Amino acid sequence: MSDMFIFMAQVYRELQPFVAHPEGGGHGVLEMPSGTGKTISLLSLIVAYQRAFPLEVTKLIYCSRTVPEIEKVVEELRKLMEFYSKQTRESNNFLALALSSRRNLCIHPEVSSLRFGKEVDGKCHSLTASYIRAQHHSNPSFPVCQFYEEFDAVGRQVPLPAGIYNLDDLKDFGRRKGWCPYYLARYSILHANIVVYSYHYLLDPKIADLVSKELAKKSVVVFDEAHNIDNVCIDSMSVNITRRTLDHCQNNVDTLHNTIHKIKETDAAKLKEEYRRLVEGLKEANVARETDVYLSNPVLPDEILQEAVPGTIRTAEHFVGFLRRFLEYLKSRLRVQHVIQESAPQFLKDIYDKVCIDRKPLRFCAERLQSLLRTLEITDIADFSAATLISNFATLVSTYSQGFTIIIEPFEDRTPTIANPVLHFSCMDPSIAIKPVFQRFQSVIITSGTLSPLDIYPRILDFHPVTMASFTMTLARTCLCPLIVGRGNDQVALSSKFETREDFAVIRNYGNLLMEMSAIVPDGIVAFFTSYVYMENIVASWYEQGILENIQRNKLIFIETQDAAETSMALEKYQEACENGRGAILLSVARGKVSEGIDFVHHFGRAVIMFGVPYVYTQSRILKARLEYLRDQFQIRENDFLTFDAMRHAAQCVGRAIRGKTDYGLMIFADKRYARADKRGKLPRWIQEHITDGSLNLTVDEAVQLSKHFLRQMAQPFRQEDQLGLSLLTLEQLESEEMLQKIAQVAHQT
Amino acid sequence: MASLSEEVLLVVKKVRQRKQDGTLYLMAERIAWGPEGKDRFTVSHLYADIRCQKISPDGKAKVQLQLVLHSGESTTFHFANESTALKDREAAKELLQQLLPKFKKKANKELEEKNRMLQEDPVLFQLYKDLVVSQVISAEEFWANRLGGVTNTDPAQYKYKQEVGISGAFLADIRPQTDGCNGLRYNLTADIIESIFRTYPAVKQKYNENVPHNLTEKEFWTRFFQSHYFHRDRINTGTQDIFSECAKQDEKGLKSMVVQGVKNPLVDLLSLEDKTLDEGYGVCGAQPSTSNSNRTVKESSNYAIIKRFNHHSAMVLAAGSRKGETPTDQASETSSTDGNSRDSDFFQPPVKKVKLQEEYEDLQQENRPKTVPLNLKKSDRYAHGPVPLQSQQYTTSQDIINSVNYIQHEMANYKPNLTQVLSSTVATSAISALSPGGVLMQAGAQQAINQMVPSEVQGELKHLYVAAGELLRHFWSCFPVNTPFLEEKVIKMKSNLERFQLTKLRPFQEKIQRQYLSTNVILLFSQWLRDWCW
Repeated sequence: MSDMFIFMAQVYRELQPFVAHPEGGGHGVLEMPSGTGKTISLLSLIVAYQRAFPLEVTKLIYCSRTVPEIEKVVEELRKLMEFYSKQTRESNNFLALALSSRRNLCIHPEVSSLRFGKEVDGKCHSLTASYIRAQHHSNPSFPVCQFYEEFDAVGRQVPLPAGIYNLDDLKDFGRRKGWCPYYLARYSILHANIVVYSYHYLLDPKIADLVSKELAKKSVVVFDEAHNIDNVCIDSMSVNITRRTLDHCQNNVDTLHNTIHKIKETDAAKLKEEYRRLVEGLKEANVARETDVYLSNPVLPDEILQEAVPGTIRTAEHFVGFLRRFLEYLKSRLRVQHVIQESAPQFLKDIYDKVCIDRKPLRFCAERLQSLLRTLEITDIADFSAATLISNFATLVSTYSQGFTIIIEPFEDRTPTIANPVLHFSCMDPSIAIKPVFQRFQSVIITSGTLSPLDIYPRILDFHPVTMASFTMTLARTCLCPLIVGRGNDQVALSSKFETREDFAVIRNYGNLLMEMSAIVPDGIVAFFTSYVYMENIVASWYEQGILENIQRNKLIFIETQDAAETSMALEKYQEACENGRGAILLSVARGKVSEGIDFVHHFGRAVIMFGVPYVYTQSRILKARLEYLRDQFQIRENDFLTFDAMRHAAQCVGRAIRGKTDYGLMIFADKRYARADKRGKLPRWIQEHITDGSLNLTVDEAVQLSKHFLRQMAQPFRQEDQLGLSLLTLEQLESEEMLQKIAQVAHQT
Repeated sequence: MASLSEEVLLVVKKVRQRKQDGTLYLMAERIAWGPEGKDRFTVSHLYADIRCQKISPDGKAKVQLQLVLHSGESTTFHFANESTALKDREAAKELLQQLLPKFKKKANKELEEKNRMLQEDPVLFQLYKDLVVSQVISAEEFWANRLGGVTNTDPAQYKYKQEVGISGAFLADIRPQTDGCNGLRYNLTADIIESIFRTYPAVKQKYNENVPHNLTEKEFWTRFFQSHYFHRDRINTGTQDIFSECAKQDEKGLKSMVVQGVKNPLVDLLSLEDKTLDEGYGVCGAQPSTSNSNRTVKESSNYAIIKRFNHHSAMVLAAGSRKGETPTDQASETSSTDGNSRDSDFFQPPVKKVKLQEEYEDLQQENRPKTVPLNLKKSDRYAHGPVPLQSQQYTTSQDIINSVNYIQHEMANYKPNLTQVLSSTVATSAISALSPGGVLMQAGAQQAINQMVPSEVQGELKHLYVAAGELLRHFWSCFPVNTPFLEEKVIKMKSNLERFQLTKLRPFQEKIQRQYLSTNVILLFSQWLRDWCW
């Protein structure tokens, strides 16, 4: 509780200049352990601002990572609003809503029964695209989505009534009115006071262009759970091209060619009309922008939109020919025997030399393809994903001369005999994708439970924060117990580093640690490994040595696999086993899906064991290129970045277990390297401050002793009174002079 | 006798019974045999009455099938058709094998219920022994009251009994031992076999199919341990192994579980991400491919281990919760499939609603019942293992409080009655009599009765007491006597009581009197009995 006010004081400091000088603005990086009220403090403070200065802060854009997290934020917001209306005794006219993909919002009986997001999008498009609806106009038996029709007819005139709309509320509302909730939400975010959605909607240019383009400038943007935000940025700008992609694309081009021929015979006027439009420039072509997913386009520089499409690709046939040439060129590039790495300008020069493709038409490639697809009235966009990918690549490679690298690998490193050429066009600079966000919005707050070391984020994302702070938890009892186990009982040093990775002594000692823990920790234990391969090997040798069998005496074992559906099932069974008292162990992988999205509250995770330091696979060329880029551009040393990356993942993993102040859990770092200052210093402050000098290099037995002691203490009843005045404040306590001083003081320090 | 409406499942001709030719009929609810040329069955057994069937070994000249009844009787059929005798017998056996288990459950249900009650409740068992076995009252009378009560109250009560789960490591408990000559010995206990069957129904099915006619039990288990199925890291290659089918079934089960998806949306990794990157985008496109073709042998064996561990744990978990919950489980399963189809979104699974609203219990108003916190003076002592207990007689705090209260009460009401004191001479003699060596202080006189009587006699007395109580309960439950039936029962109960006194109390009393002349416990007891009855 007291943490929340310190935290709020900090956010306040950040927002203050914003009100004082509306042009000033301020970005911030804030780290605060989860379960301490990060979300609600941010929400309540920003909402208070919105109420006080409705003209300065018009909108709050709250971005989170997963769908459940988005929904949780909206529920918190609902509580806040209920509190407001209870205190002020008047209903406020706030409109807040969550936005998600069609898959989560569609209510069309047929479309919504599809399981995968892509299918839903494709099907929805085939019912709502502008030309489909035009056809429906002339021929009413042509199927369209009645929800969209209804929304289009009346939904826009009446704004969504004020209130808090979670995904389900939107669906309910949509059903009642017969409107499409997805388009209703997309339309309503323009005038909503608070929007909650996934950060892809803001960071991925392909989606952002569609959804978030017109959001007001005077918005406050919050990125919650943002510890991986740089990877999200990079992912959304990178492209991989394999032979399969090219083959698909070849088919697409052939289809285009045939369709053009057919249309030419029947309806040549249509193509002429398109040509005319293209001469006039792309701006004109945006009539059907909203419903057509086509406009997805990697960051389009503004000048492109002003210009006309170059003459070489203006007619449909010429463009198809152009695509063919480009495709052939890519094919020839994929026929390499050795690894090639080059920059974007090198690539452009090569393509000009070999097939005489200029830079300018390449830049228009993506737009031109979308326009053509629209003209040809192709319904199934999912089919054309390969062609879209290639054209996006063309646009990206010709637009950015910096921050990207092209790597062509003829085969996978592990299987040098099997030819599987891949062209990686990978973004190395996360700031490219996030730059528009920082530029457009005046206040951007990046926050998470694990953001340490804080200073690296402004550097890699290239912005200047007003505040940077890492908060700790004020605890009535030490509810977390980080232990660094560096040795086995036989004094063998424990480490997952490459040299000792296959060492039986290490593997056995790791097994021993898990076994001992399984005997003393109640309910659930989650163990993280550094990679799938490592986990599989360890599990196999534990099986051979009979360690797993012994662990099974104490708890059931569930193991994450690379198949998400299988893992979901294992996860559910794991929770069931924790729930019914049997207790279970989940073996999982850092950087895996579980480590990123699943919380292990209370008895679902009483102990987290991190086997080894989760370094990223350093031999990958893409990573090497990125490290090089970071060194040259941002002066970040390779090792610093790698350690930072490993430690944030480790912190992310162990942080899964503590989800609040009443929660408790062991955090066991099983690698002697964690004891070093450079590793330890990169852990979040709230974990670091509980690592005592005595727990830096424990043996398995010592760790077991400490754990036993800790668990027994934690198992005592823990009541509200114990927390009052320390981590929980009553209103009187809060208003007391002393506490206010304390908060001001602490807030000032950080 | 032969009701025509019965469905006849199998007719086998030329079956001899007691040297008489005839025809064997297997019907829906019973098995019957009628001599040739006659229109009635001389042998007819309900399947429910049959305990088991036995068959003659294959090598024997006579091809026979024996039915053993619950009553202990047995009937033997001799299949006499030379050419097809063996086949006939197999057919009959197969059919019986399918039918018997169904009826067994039905028939034995009541018996099992009684048995269970007796096993669970030692007092009741003793009572049963005292009253029924010694034929004081009949078994029906004994049960009439009890069983009705149980079945009427709540069938769920019976299910409330906790199933013992399965140890996750039951396979680990089968430690192979080398037998000295290049072989391994596995020790299987009934518990382990039970665990294996409950966890892997497929193995049980195989067992039922193959034992005893294809394989002996020993052979079956030998093969089980040799199979890849037991050794999870071996990859399924051969098809001649009888367990390869089990593995396939498991695989199928696992797959169906996966396809079914999960009920809790918060752990569904597939729907966690709001917007996944399209194919071809992203940095890590060149992830190590997961397809099986690219895997090395070692990798796929590792993968198999992981998969089977997941499966094993899931099965163990399911086996623990399977019994008693099956109907609800099915219901929830069907609803879960509904839950996955997206149009059932009208009804969000409640679990989601609950979990979305994160509750911080420390921020809630406290309205739980107050509990007494453990107040540790020395928490170290608590944390560092138990202190050896001193052997002491503990009295519960309630007792202490009661006695303190009582004493206080006594003290408060104590009034010395000085007018009625003894004269000094009498008092002196009383004191001398009470002093050691006095008349009243003779050895033995002060011994408590419970020290005097050996514990078995005490036990017997207790049993008698309980039994008498039970009889009296029966007796008094007849009042008020307002129906002829009750009247009859009262009379019967009275005679029962008398018999009880005759057969049980009297001998006991005599025994006691023979051994412990000084006691008059039993007198008190029979007096008490008499008081109660009349």
